Amino acid sequence: MNPIDLIFSSGENKPIPRIALLGQPNCGKSTLFNSLAGFKAETGNFPGTSVEFTESMAIVAGRKVRLFDLPGTYSLVPSDEAEAVTRRWLDQGSFDALILVLDASVLSRSLELALELAETEIPFVVALNMMDEAARKGITIDVDELSRRLGVPVVPTVATRGQGVVRVVTEAIGAAARHGRANRPVYDRDVERAVEQVAALLAGTFDGSRARYLAVRILEADPVDEEIVAGAGRSVLDAALQIRRGLAVEHGWPEDGFFASHRHAIAVDLFESVARVVRNPGRTIRERVDGVLMHPVFGPLVALGVLAGFFAVSFFAGSAISELVMGPFEALGGLVESRLHGVAGVLARGTVDGIGGGLAIVLPYLLLLLFFMALLEDVGYLPRAAFLMDGLLHRVGLHGRSAIPLIMGYGCNVPAIVGSRSLESRRDRLLTTLLVPFVPCSARTVVILALIGAIFGLKWVLAVYVMNILVAATVGRVLSSWVPGESIGLLMEIPPYRLPPLKSVAAKVWFRIRSFLISAWPALVAASILMALLEYWGIQDAANRILSPFTEGVLGLPAAVGVTLVFGIFRKELTLLMLFAALGTTDVASVMTTTQIVTFVVFVVFYIPCIATIIVQVKEIGVKWTAVSVGLNILVATVLALLARLVGSTFTV
Amino acid sequence: MTLLEAEINSHVLVKKVDCGGGFSRNLASLGIHEGDRLSVIRKAPFQGPILVRVEGSEVEIAVGRGMASRITVEPD
Repeated sequence: MNPIDLIFSSGENKPIPRIALLGQPNCGKSTLFNSLAGFKAETGNFPGTSVEFTESMAIVAGRKVRLFDLPGTYSLVPSDEAEAVTRRWLDQGSFDALILVLDASVLSRSLELALELAETEIPFVVALNMMDEAARKGITIDVDELSRRLGVPVVPTVATRGQGVVRVVTEAIGAAARHGRANRPVYDRDVERAVEQVAALLAGTFDGSRARYLAVRILEADPVDEEIVAGAGRSVLDAALQIRRGLAVEHGWPEDGFFASHRHAIAVDLFESVARVVRNPGRTIRERVDGVLMHPVFGPLVALGVLAGFFAVSFFAGSAISELVMGPFEALGGLVESRLHGVAGVLARGTVDGIGGGLAIVLPYLLLLLFFMALLEDVGYLPRAAFLMDGLLHRVGLHGRSAIPLIMGYGCNVPAIVGSRSLESRRDRLLTTLLVPFVPCSARTVVILALIGAIFGLKWVLAVYVMNILVAATVGRVLSSWVPGESIGLLMEIPPYRLPPLKSVAAKVWFRIRSFLISAWPALVAASILMALLEYWGIQDAANRILSPFTEGVLGLPAAVGVTLVFGIFRKELTLLMLFAALGTTDVASVMTTTQIVTFVVFVVFYIPCIATIIVQVKEIGVKWTAVSVGLNILVATVLALLARLVGSTFTV
Repeated sequence: MTLLEAEINSHVLVKKVDCGGGFSRNLASLGIHEGDRLSVIRKAPFQGPILVRVEGSEVEIAVGRGMASRITVEPD
């Protein structure tokens, strides 16, 4: 328990109820959570995974509660990593009650999760959310009847406006105390008999209601529970599977799907007995917008516009704010260094630079880009962009969903990698995280523009970008055949457009930024201090000498650029300035040949990104894969720079 | 025929979902079941996924081509 909790809970003996929010994706669960928790919330990873959940203390109707926001889950049978982790968490039972958030506008599908939950012994209440949207779709729901049929409290809510939110939490606290349980669904005679047969098999090992629950899960072909039963005895599981197979074969049902179909039938039945659909209009707005955004020609054009937006944001706003931030810090650094002498001054300077450098990433790039991205995500544009890009990205072994992080990488690799968390499968996240460093961020774009653009013209800048995309695509293809696991095809809900409450978007941005502040910023400061020390001890010349077999020997560059490449890792945005300093002139063309300039640019474009990127990579994919990523970047950069040198020296004198 | 072959703006009835790897269950959890009626709304460019709307629930789901080829449908 952290100190704040101790202060909060002092003088009260009653334990604080732990309430978790569960629901299908896009049901408004996080909006409901944020309307109660706000910025006090903390994100955490489930142990040993990068799947996130959010938790917060909140005071609801004068009572303290601990709230958990779990990842969106279509079903208790996990279909991806996030769902699997959520399921494990639910099985551990370290909470007192669940609030099941159901999207009233797609009630019949949402009810399937409610029926699944009704088989468990978990105390839960239903938040019947999006009541406004259901009303717009012409759906009226008899809430009392639904509550009676499910056997749990049902509270109608509109989370975006905070309606019903307090009441649902109060009901959940009550449910936790009552330990009541929902009405179990009753299946067809044949299915019900099979449930009883399997339950009888399990009765020796598990108690009555647990045996019944596990019987349902086995018939459902839930791998998690099959393992639990296998732990109790392989022969028991085999006998149970025999019953399942027999039932499926007898009726010609798909073995892993028949139970879901039966539950579906019950859900439809339940829906029809509690809801009335009076009219069914109003898809016109969505249809019209989708007609443009998902159009085979206009859609990609809009996506390009969004890409251009990201560019514009990072170039104009981003670099302007960045300079604004860096100016005072540079001045402060100089001042500190002049006042303090020796190592102390150097240490102080490094610290100031590190803090300023971090701020120069956080404020413009993280804040703007993550806000932009969270907005696109919550409005519902991202799934549509993913739909459009899926075909192309499939050819490099990725999913449509990877499109957005990769695009963000052009602004800054750091938020791109943090943003890749929204990808569901671990494989897609890993591949995307490995590919993001190949996307030239704005700091590298500065180098491309200043050297290639100024000397050879904009046409060649474009050529560098095209080459970069081709190389990244090739690397993606190779990696995807390399990284374990297979990319399953796309299967994704396209949600309706929604106007997210600003608070919800802001909370999302804040959670992501905070994880950068806590983990990456201190490391950035340390790296900055190290760099200042190296500079102070005059290690540049030594570094250049050590690197000269590579810089001069392999790449054919002046030895003086060695130090830019090394220090460029710490402060990528200063690469150009460092190059000017190292060469002693801003007129690079006067001291380097055309071939040397091209070789240098090619190397910088594909070479290791900055230290901040590496730090977030370590956090997201671990040390081993980060090492692979860094090695890969150096390898590709070297090979391509060498190629540039060879081609250059063949065609120029 | 399979969903892959269904034309844009056509209405189809889901006859059979070729299972394996929990595919039919994943489809079901998103809201597509055998016996459901679907409208084929659009197809993404570059051999991308197919967008269908489930009649009744009005849920829209993007189905990749590999998956669409495993869903047997008939014109409705």
